[in-house]
Amino acid sequence: MIATFDIMILVFVLICAIAAISVKDLLSAVMILGAYSFFMCLLWSEMGAVDVAFTEASVSAGIGTVLFIAAVSQTKRRSKD
Amino acid sequence: MFDLIISKYNYWIYIILMMIGFYAMIGKKNLVKKIIGMNIFQTAIILFFISTASKKGGTLPIIMHGHGAHAVKAASYINPLPHVLMLTAIVVMVSTLGVALAIVIQIYRRYNTLEENEILRLNK
Amino acid sequence: MRFLALIAVIITGIILIYGSVDMPDWGDPHSPASLHVSPRYIEKTMEETATPNMVTSVLADYRGYDTLGETTVIFTAGISCILILRERKRRKKRKINPKNPTNHV
Repeated sequence: MIATFDIMILVFVLICAIAAISVKDLLSAVMILGAYSFFMCLLWSEMGAVDVAFTEASVSAGIGTVLFIAAVSQTKRRSKD
Repeated sequence: MFDLIISKYNYWIYIILMMIGFYAMIGKKNLVKKIIGMNIFQTAIILFFISTASKKGGTLPIIMHGHGAHAVKAASYINPLPHVLMLTAIVVMVSTLGVALAIVIQIYRRYNTLEENEILRLNK
Repeated sequence: MRFLALIAVIITGIILIYGSVDMPDWGDPHSPASLHVSPRYIEKTMEETATPNMVTSVLADYRGYDTLGETTVIFTAGISCILILRERKRRKKRKINPKNPTNHV
């Protein structure tokens, strides 16, 4: 638990979350969500939860992004808001 | 006041993250955007639970020099129980994500759009 | 509509921040979550399960039924994905007509 490292990663996570819900292109939003998951994984390994961190990196940032890309490629890429 | 901010700032940032996800769930019209908001919401809650496990002065929950015979003190390792519960929660999160995306694909096949207001207008 | 959503979100956030003042401090070793069950897991894991990694021993040994239930959840999710995305070849394809949307039932 190093406070400056913690605050830096938290700020990056906030920026990624706001960008992921405000981008109009859905593929870009999904990519930013993958970056959000990796920052979250870094935050957890900084807190000492290594098992949760590598599960997040493999399951949520890997399989989740793949599922999102599959869904976006089957449907429309543009979003109105 | 400064002590309060130092000891509670991470809870406030988790609440802000959770509110971003909540706003995307109820305010956005696109269905994929709603699912992205759900993902952010669940991740913020998991982050909150992981942060209750941390102890000042504790190390990772893996016993050092494991197979020697010596006493283990509970205060020198962080709490492993929230980590276990949140491992389960992450896997359940990905399962709900898969089912939600399958439903979205089926909705798109039927209505040819992903915007919520157009689906409601077509369904009237 | 968007304004209403923003107001609801802000009210919920204020209530949660008001509730977070009573939470234990971050990294407090005497918080209630780390006093009740977990000291037994930490102290007895070597002699009861012979696994140095406590997360693994709790996940697979002390709380093995929890992991079994999680497997059931993943299985149900996979089955429901297959059932939702399956192409129905026998029937006619019921695609909605955007000009006249009521004739699909």
